[in-house]
Amino acid sequence: MPDGSRRSKPPTSFNTIEREKSFRNPPKDGSTYNILNEFVTPHIESFNALFDDSGLPAGDGDGRGLLSLALKDIGERVVFDGNERTDSESGPQGWGNRMRVWIDQATIARPMVPDKDRTAIERKVYPAEARERLTSYRGRMTIKICWTDISGQQHDMMKDCGLVPIMVRSVRCNLRSMSSADLVRHHEEPEEFGGYFVINGNERLIRYLILPRRNHVIALIRPSFSNRGPSYTPYAVQIRCVRPDQTSVTNTLHYLQNGSAMLRFTWRKQEYVIPIMLVLKALVGASDKEIFEGIMMHDYENTFLSDRVELLLRSFKMFTMHTGQQCLEYLGDKFRVILNLPEDWSNAAQGTWLLNKLVLVHVESARDKFRMLLFMLRKLYSTVSGENCADNPDSPQHQEVLLPGSLYGMIIKERMEEILNNIRGSISSDVRNGVAVDFNDKRYFTKVLSKVNFDIGAKLANFLATGNLVSPTGLDLQQASGFTIIAEKLNWQRYISHFRCIHRGAFFAELKTTTVRKLLPEAWGFLCPVHTPDGTPCGLLNHLSRTCRIVTSPLSVAHIPVLLAAHGMTQPFAPSVDGRKNVCVQLDGRIIGWARPKVAAELATYLRICKTEGKMDVPVDLEIGLVPESHGGQYPGLYLFSTKARMMRPVKYLANNCDDQVGPFEQVYMDIACTAEEIESNSSHVEHDPTNFLSILANLTPFSDFNQSPRNIYQCQMGKQTMGTPSTALQHRTDNKLYRLQTGQSPVVRPALHNTYAMDSFPNGTNAIVAVISYTGYDMEDAMILNKSAHERGFAYGTVYKSTTVDLKDMKGASKSSTPTLHFGVGKDVPNTEEKMHPCFEFIDLDGLPFIGARLNAGDIMAAYVDDTTGRTKFVKYKGDETAYIDQVRLLGSDAGDSELQKIHLTLRITRAPVIGDKFSSRHGQKGVCSQKWPAIDMPFSESGMQPDIIINPHAFPSRMTIGMLVESMAGKAGSMHGLAQDATPFKFTEEDTAINYFGEQLVASGYNYYGNEPMYSGITGQEFAADIYLGVVYYQRLRHMVLDKFQVRTTGPVDPVTRQPVKGRKRAGGIRFGEMERDALIAHGTSFLLQDRLMNCSDYSTAWVCRTCGSLISLGYEDVSLGEMVVGNTGSLKPTGPGGEYCRVCRAAAEHQEELERQAMATGQQLQRPQADVMVAISSQNVLKRASKGGELDVVAVPYIFRYLCAELASMGIAVSLEVR
Amino acid sequence: MQAQEDVEPTVRIREVKKDRVNFVLGNVDLAFANSLRRVMMADIPTVAIDMVEIETNTTVLPDEFIAHRLGMIPLVSANCDEAIRYTRDCICLAGCSFCSMMLELKVACDDDNTMEVTSAHLEVVPFPEEEGSQDPGEELSKRGEWFGHPVGKNDPNVPPVLITKIRKGQELKIRCIAKKAAKEHAKFSPCSAISFEYDPYNKLRHTTWWYETNVEDEWPLSENAKEEEAPRDDEPFDFNAKPNKFYFEVETDGSLGPQEVVMKVRLRPACCS
Repeated sequence: MPDGSRRSKPPTSFNTIEREKSFRNPPKDGSTYNILNEFVTPHIESFNALFDDSGLPAGDGDGRGLLSLALKDIGERVVFDGNERTDSESGPQGWGNRMRVWIDQATIARPMVPDKDRTAIERKVYPAEARERLTSYRGRMTIKICWTDISGQQHDMMKDCGLVPIMVRSVRCNLRSMSSADLVRHHEEPEEFGGYFVINGNERLIRYLILPRRNHVIALIRPSFSNRGPSYTPYAVQIRCVRPDQTSVTNTLHYLQNGSAMLRFTWRKQEYVIPIMLVLKALVGASDKEIFEGIMMHDYENTFLSDRVELLLRSFKMFTMHTGQQCLEYLGDKFRVILNLPEDWSNAAQGTWLLNKLVLVHVESARDKFRMLLFMLRKLYSTVSGENCADNPDSPQHQEVLLPGSLYGMIIKERMEEILNNIRGSISSDVRNGVAVDFNDKRYFTKVLSKVNFDIGAKLANFLATGNLVSPTGLDLQQASGFTIIAEKLNWQRYISHFRCIHRGAFFAELKTTTVRKLLPEAWGFLCPVHTPDGTPCGLLNHLSRTCRIVTSPLSVAHIPVLLAAHGMTQPFAPSVDGRKNVCVQLDGRIIGWARPKVAAELATYLRICKTEGKMDVPVDLEIGLVPESHGGQYPGLYLFSTKARMMRPVKYLANNCDDQVGPFEQVYMDIACTAEEIESNSSHVEHDPTNFLSILANLTPFSDFNQSPRNIYQCQMGKQTMGTPSTALQHRTDNKLYRLQTGQSPVVRPALHNTYAMDSFPNGTNAIVAVISYTGYDMEDAMILNKSAHERGFAYGTVYKSTTVDLKDMKGASKSSTPTLHFGVGKDVPNTEEKMHPCFEFIDLDGLPFIGARLNAGDIMAAYVDDTTGRTKFVKYKGDETAYIDQVRLLGSDAGDSELQKIHLTLRITRAPVIGDKFSSRHGQKGVCSQKWPAIDMPFSESGMQPDIIINPHAFPSRMTIGMLVESMAGKAGSMHGLAQDATPFKFTEEDTAINYFGEQLVASGYNYYGNEPMYSGITGQEFAADIYLGVVYYQRLRHMVLDKFQVRTTGPVDPVTRQPVKGRKRAGGIRFGEMERDALIAHGTSFLLQDRLMNCSDYSTAWVCRTCGSLISLGYEDVSLGEMVVGNTGSLKPTGPGGEYCRVCRAAAEHQEELERQAMATGQQLQRPQADVMVAISSQNVLKRASKGGELDVVAVPYIFRYLCAELASMGIAVSLEVR
Repeated sequence: MQAQEDVEPTVRIREVKKDRVNFVLGNVDLAFANSLRRVMMADIPTVAIDMVEIETNTTVLPDEFIAHRLGMIPLVSANCDEAIRYTRDCICLAGCSFCSMMLELKVACDDDNTMEVTSAHLEVVPFPEEEGSQDPGEELSKRGEWFGHPVGKNDPNVPPVLITKIRKGQELKIRCIAKKAAKEHAKFSPCSAISFEYDPYNKLRHTTWWYETNVEDEWPLSENAKEEEAPRDDEPFDFNAKPNKFYFEVETDGSLGPQEVVMKVRLRPACCS
C-alpha cells in the first residue's frame, strides 16, 4: 500500500552485508538461523527420548528414557534345567532349577574412534568423517545381561551389541548443541540442523508416518468387518493403546449380530478374538449386574441398549464361567501355548499377564481397563443405534505421528526382547537335546550367549539403509517397508522439505479408493494443502504446515483429574452416574470422571484459560477436545490428550488474548478466524498469521494468493527439482550427484519468510529480465527463448558433481585375506621416460591417483593399481560419456586407520552450461524448455536499451491464470529500479488496496508505464512493435532435467544378438521403439521412404539368398568350387551352383530325389507330384539386389533379419516358408 | 512530403561522458538507424581474453569458471583496427605479438585475511617472441600505452573487477591470451546497452499504448519527448510519415570510448552512396 497503512513494515533490504558477515564469521554462540533447529526438533527430541539423559522434562514419569522403559516392559525370561531335584524352587512341578534372565540396562555411547587405533588424538568421530569416508555415523551399544544361578544368586555380564547409528545433533551426537562457528570447524554447514542418520555416507532419515490417534476410541463402520466371520457386522470401535515406551497394541471391539461383542488384538502378527464378557469378568471379576449397570448407566428406557446388553450377558452363559478367577484360568489355559511364559506359572497368572500386556495397555489398573471397556461398549452400541456417526480415520482429528525416535526405540526393544527369547530358546533346546546344562557354571552361560546374535547395531543400520522393518511382531504397524528416505541435498528447498514430510502409510498407496487422499478441512493448519506431489503419492505424502509442531516432551498432567473434580466433575468411581445426562471425561484414554455437558464445557473453558495463562500447572500442549452433544454426530465427551506425537499449532486465544496451542482434535469444534478482521462473535481463536497453514515451501511462492491453486502445487514440486546451491560445505560432501548453480542470486521479490529459512544462504535461481511476447515462433508451446549474450555472460550456468569410488577390494584379483595384493600406483611395466611416455600420465601420477583438475573424456584413465601376483599395472577408466574434471580425490582408510589404502573416492565435475532443451521455470509453476539461444542484436529491446534474458509466450497465461507471475514481474521491475527487496508474502493485499496499484505507483515513479508495459522495438528491423510488451524481472529457476542426461538418438548401433534389431535403453546407446501405432501414422501419412528407413534400414536390414525355384530362404549351401563351375554329382548329372558355389540344398536334394523317383517311375509308371510349401510369401522384385546371372538358382534379396529368423523358427516346427520373387 | 533524399544526415551530440554518448541522429531512415545500433552492439572488434592456461588453481572456484570470469573483463582496446590483427588474418601459427596479447595473473595469499583477486592483478607481459618472425607489422607501434590492460587499471578511481577471493595458502597462476574478435562472444561487445528511441509521442502510431483508464497517467513520456512537438488534439494522422529522428544513448564497458564505438561504424546511408 502506498500509504503503508496495513502492511507492517515490509522487509525492503536484502541484508547483503549482514549475510556476508555472518557467512564469514558464523556466530560462536548459537546458530545463524534458530528456526531451522526448531523445525527438526520432533526428529531430534524423539531420538533423545530414548535415553535417560535426554534433557527433556520428566512429565509425570521418572524421566527415564524409552530404552529403560522398554527394558522394564520386557521383563525377564525363565528357563528350567530339567534337573528334578526336590530342593529346587520349582521342585513339586518337576521343572528343575529355575533361572531368570533379564537385561538390566542398555547404553549407547557417542561415536568414537575404536580402541584399536592408538594414534588418534581426537577420539570423537564427527558426522563429516562418516560422510566423507562413506561409512556410518554410529556409537557402541552395550547391554547388561543378568541371570540367576541355582541358589538364586544374581550374576551379570556386559554384552556388546554392535555399533548403532546415531542421529546427527541428537544427545548422542558429538555435534550436539554446537554453535555455527563450531559446526563450520567440523566441516558442516553453519545451518546444519541434524535430524538424520549417516549410513554408508548417505544421509537418511526416518520419515514421519501418520498413525491412528493413540488412546482414543474411534467408531468404525466398515463393510469388510462382516467378512471376518459368521454373525460379524460392519460395526466396531477401535483404540490404539500406547505403552509408556511408545510401543502400541490396537484393540478392536466388534459388534456381533447377536448383540454381543468380540475383542480383537494381535500377538506376533496373529489375530485373536475373545468374547468381551470374558475379558470384563476376568479383569475385575465383575458380576453380571455390575456389567449391566455399567453399560446401561440408568438409561433403562433405552430398549435398544437394554436388549443388547441382555443378549450380551446371556450369550456368555454358555461358557459356564461365573467368577473372574475362572475366566482368568480359562484365558491362561487357551493362550498358554503361544505366550511362551514361564512354564511354572499358573493359568490364572498367564491370563493376568495376557490382560496386562495386550488389553488396553495404556492404562495399568484393571479397574481402569474395565471402565474403559464399558465405555467402548457404550460407544459401540450407540454407533450401532445410529445415535452417533462413525469417526473418520482419514481425518487428522483422529491421527497422530509416528516419531522417528519412537520407531527406533521400538525396534531396539524388539531386538532386545529377541535376544532374551533366543537365550531362553537356546538353553531349553540344550535341555531337550540332553546337552549338559549347568546353571551354576558361568562358562556354560557364556557359551549360550555366544550362540545368540547380539548385533543390534547391524539390524538398525540395515533398517535405516533399506527402510525395511524385519520384525516378528510387526510393531502394530501397517507396513513393513518404506520407513526411511534419503535426505537428498539437491537444493535447500528439497532438503528441508524432507524433514517436514509426513506419509499416510504405504498400505494406503495401494488402495483403489481415493478417499484417503482427500484434503480434509480438519487438516487446516496441520498439513499443507498446497505442498503435495501430483501423481501417485498425491495426498498421501503431505508436508507439515509451517507452524505445525509435534509434541515430543512428556507433560505432567497427574494433577488434572483432581483439578477437574474440584470444579464439578463427578469421580469415575461414583456409584450411580446417569449416562443420559452425563458425558465422559477422559485423559489420555483413561476415564477420569463424568460431567453434565454444560459442566464439561465449563471445564474445557477453565482448562483452556489455565493453560494459556500458565495457571494451575496446566501444560499449554494439553489438548482439550470437547465434543458437544449432537444427534448423529461425534460421540460426545471431554477428551484430554497430553501424550507425545500429537500435532499442535499456535494460535491466539481470543478470550484472554494469550497464545494457545491447538490440536487437530479440538480444532474441529473451534472457530478460528484467519485474520483479525475476520473475528466474529463466535470466534474462539485467531491465527497469528494467515499464511501459517502453508508449508515452508508453499510459503516461499511469491504472491501465491494470486495464482490458480494447482500452479502453486506445481511450484512446490519444481522448487524441489531446481538446480540451486545444495550446500556451502561442498568440499566435504560425497553425494552421488549434486547439482549446483554457479550464478545464484537472491530474488528481488520474496516473501517475508525467505530470510527466516536461510534461503539466501542457498540461492536457487536468477533474476531474469522477462518479456512476454510472441516473437520468432520459437516460444510456442511453453518454449522460451534465451538471450545468447546473457547465456555467454553466464546466465544459469550450472555444474553437476558426480561421485565414483574405486575400491580395490572389488577388483578382479583382489585377495580375500587381510594383506592386499592390489596397490594403488603405476608399476615399472608402464614406461614413463621422456622419450616413451605412457598416455596415462596425462591423467594420473605415479601414485596411481588422478591429478586434481584433470580433464577426462570417455575411456580416459582415472586410476591405476598394481597387481602383486602378476606384477602388471591395471587401469581404471572413466565410463561416463561426458567430459568431466577431477574435482576432489579422497583416500579412504579403515575405521581404525591401520590398513593400506584400498579405496578412493573421486568427485567428478561436469560443466553444464544451459543448452537448447534444458528446462527452466519461474516460481509459479510455469515451466518451459529453452528452444533457441537468440543473438542479442536480434532480440527485441526497450527504449532504455534493455533486452530480455528470456522471452516467454503470452499464451502461457490465459489458461493457467498465474497472475502471481505477472505481479512478480511488476514488483521485480519496480524493486530493481528502487533497490528494494519486494515483500511478496501472500494475503497482504486486498480488493481495495491492490498489488497492481502498489507496484504501478512505484513503476510510474521510476518512469515506467503503470502496468509494467513498455513499447519495444524489433531487434531485426528496429521498428516499434504494434503492441506494447509486458517486460519485467522474474526470478527463474533452472530445473535439473537437462537434455544431456536424457537425449536418446541413434542411426545404427548396438543390436540384439538374436533378432539383430536395435536394443533399447539410453545407457546402451539403444533406440526408442518405433511401434505399431507409429508405423500406422507413417503409413497413413504416405511417407513410405521414411517407413523403409526406420523399420528396415536403421533396424534389422539384412540380405539373404533365396531360391528362385523353391522359394526357401534357409536352404543356402556352398560348394567349394571356383566361379561358375558345374559339379558332377555321384549320380553323374550336373548340379547347378551360383558363381560363388552357392546352391539350394532343398532343390538339389529334391532334384536328386526326383531323379531317383523318375528312375523308379520309369520303372513303375507312376505320376509325380512336387511338394507344396505351407506358407507362400511374395516378395517384390525391388528387393532383389542381385540376380545370380551365371547359372545357379539363388537370388540375393533384402529382408529384415527377423524374417529370416522367423523362417528358421518355423522350419524348426516343420513349417516351410516359400518366397516367391516377382 | 519533403524529399528526404536532399537532406544530409545529421548527428547532434547531446552529452558525451567517458563511458557514454547521447546523440540524436536525424534525417536517416529506420533501417539505417537500427543497423547502426546493431553494428555498435555486435560488430565493433575489441580485445578480450580468449584462452587461459591455468598452471595452479587452488581457489574455491573451478578452472572453467575462473576462465569465464577472466574473459568477461573488459580490456582497453582503443584503435583496435590498427593495433592488432585478427588471428585468422595473421601468418603466425597459434598466436604472436601481432595478433594476441598475453596477460598473467600470479597471486598467492599468505595473509590471514581473505584476499581479493581482481583485474588489477592482471599484468600484460610481452609475448614470447618466436624465432625469425619475419613479419614487420606496424601494429605494435600503433598501440596505446594501456592497450590490452584491464579497463581502469591505470585509474585509482575505477574499482577493479573482482575475479575471486582467496584465503591463506591458496594460489592462482594463470596465463591468458587475449585476442581480437567481434561477434563470437558477448565479451567482445564494447557496449553494455544502447538505448534507442524514435517518435516519443507515438505520432506515427507504430505502437499502441494500451491503457486501463487514462493514457497520460499510465504512460509517462520519455525525456526525448522534449525534443519534439507534442501533437495537437486535432492533428490529423499522417500515414505517410516515416521516422527520421532517432535518440541514441550508447554506453560502453570501457574497452572502447563511446566516440570510437560510434565512429568506427562504417555505414553509409543510401542517400550518400
